[in-house]
Amino acid sequence: MSGKFSRKTLWLSVLFALMLLLPQFVTSRFYMDIVIRVLLFSFIGVAWNLMGGYAKQLSLGHAAYFGLGAYTSTMLQINYGISPWIGMIAGGGVAMLASLPIGALCFRLRGPYFTISTIAMAQVLMLLFLKFRDFAWGAEGTTIPNLGDAPWMMQFEEKAAYFYIALALLVVGLVVTWAVERSWMGYYLVALGEDEDAAQAIGVNVPKMKRHIYLISTFLTALAGTFYIQYIYFIDPPTAFSFNISVEAALVSIVGGIGTLWGPVVGTVLLEVTSTLLQSWLGGGHGGVQLTVYSLILMAVILWRPAGLLGLITDVYHRIFGNKQQSEQEAALDG
Amino acid sequence: MLVTVAQALINGLLIGGIYALVSIGVTLIFGVVKVVNFAQGEIVMAGMYTSYFCATLLGIDPLVSLLISMPALFIVGVCLQHFLIRRVLKLGDMPQIFLTFALSLLLTNVALLLFKADYRTIQTSYSDTAIHIGPVYIAVAKLIAFGVAMLLSALLWVFLRTTDLGKAMRASAQNPEVSMLMGINPDLVFAVAVGLALALAGAAGSLLMPFYPAYPMVGQVFILMAFVAVVLGTLGNVTGALIASLMMGVAESLGIQFVGADSGLIVVFVMFLVTLIIRPNGLFGGKRR
Repeated sequence: MSGKFSRKTLWLSVLFALMLLLPQFVTSRFYMDIVIRVLLFSFIGVAWNLMGGYAKQLSLGHAAYFGLGAYTSTMLQINYGISPWIGMIAGGGVAMLASLPIGALCFRLRGPYFTISTIAMAQVLMLLFLKFRDFAWGAEGTTIPNLGDAPWMMQFEEKAAYFYIALALLVVGLVVTWAVERSWMGYYLVALGEDEDAAQAIGVNVPKMKRHIYLISTFLTALAGTFYIQYIYFIDPPTAFSFNISVEAALVSIVGGIGTLWGPVVGTVLLEVTSTLLQSWLGGGHGGVQLTVYSLILMAVILWRPAGLLGLITDVYHRIFGNKQQSEQEAALDG
Repeated sequence: MLVTVAQALINGLLIGGIYALVSIGVTLIFGVVKVVNFAQGEIVMAGMYTSYFCATLLGIDPLVSLLISMPALFIVGVCLQHFLIRRVLKLGDMPQIFLTFALSLLLTNVALLLFKADYRTIQTSYSDTAIHIGPVYIAVAKLIAFGVAMLLSALLWVFLRTTDLGKAMRASAQNPEVSMLMGINPDLVFAVAVGLALALAGAAGSLLMPFYPAYPMVGQVFILMAFVAVVLGTLGNVTGALIASLMMGVAESLGIQFVGADSGLIVVFVMFLVTLIIRPNGLFGGKRR
């Protein structure tokens, strides 16, 4: 056990060191942009997966919190000159506050109807931000004033800086997931994800658990919102509350492996690499190609590999390197 | 004032008939197969494009191409049930939700690839005509759409009440295990239920075509309405879905009239939220789900 643990730690350290050095090797802004997108969407997937994967509360409305995070930091920055670093945390707080009433409503429903109510909630928030022009620029949105190289305002000349922020976010997300997975809460969540009534019957406080994991998940999602808007320098309701954000958060987790630590990361890498390859083969101007391919991959995964592709990869790895016993141990550890 | 209200009521009721066709389909599939079809809106879109191309390429009126879109989508529905939904019935929420969701994404984006994001409309002889009753006017195309929608809903109701297959469907919705023991073939019943649901959505598409533009994302409008209507009208309840759809059409129309052109959906969602708070099982629901 201890030998295996150290081997796993070793691999992770090597991977982390390689990631830290990555900006030294990848100098093209185009490829750096792809890497940043992969990190960001992995992080959003990780945040979604805490609730959607472990507790099986399949939300398709996480864009609500992405948008709230984005708008909170942007409004604090433009109206009061407050740094997005503070705005980011404030956005997380706003998202957590919003998750309480929204959760109280949506958790009354189960299964597909929970999913539908989360979509409706995210839509309502987007419509409100579109409608109330005086409050937050309405449909026109606004650009973030470009201050050049201003680290305190989360603005950088080099893409490498954004890369490190996205990497840090992902590490935070993974560490939180790792901690939740190993806590009592993790076991409660998996139990209620399997069967809510049974979990309640054996003494799990199901409403409280749902509320708590929703708080964590929405906080993290809001951080991603702030980062994204700072990265693209523009905000409007359809961008901040984009349904695609909700979809992609769920998609990367399911394709990679729902309810696993590394699933969302694996899913994002696979999907983003596929989409980049497609774009370079077909060139631009083919609206719809990316999501067509994503939806086909999603369908294939659901029909043939509902546990996600992470399991497939570890299986193949162990088939090549042998040692079946170890593969089972690792599978158990990965959840 | 009274005239504006009457006008908004009529417009809302007429479009509510179309919403009804979509939500009856969703609630029928849920009632019988116990799966929510997230792709129902895209089936409306498919019905619209079918009628669009029938009209532009073959010169067939949308009301006639109803006879093409409905059987075509019935067959699509049978195949959808047989080749896709059937395979996830024994699995949990995640595969059931995300399989039809993936289908919805697929259809939207394939449409985007094939037809681009353009809005496509067709002009029929009755597209711009209206009946005037005093100061209130009724668009003929919408009136026809409403009439056919109500006729189809009534036919479905009669089918479910009087035919053997319809009764088998209701039995199977109430208790799948027992109905199977009574000799009802679930595969057949499920396939017909999904087929009928898709045929209704296809009919909605054809009926919309004379007065509503077709574009790849058009399904989203209708699926959101349908979802709210099936929750409001109590899941799996066909009559409930019909009444709730008409109510939502009216609510949306009053919202547009009195709160602002972009507020129709907000009013509908507020209704949805209020219902969730007061009656989470819908307006016609008994036991908690």
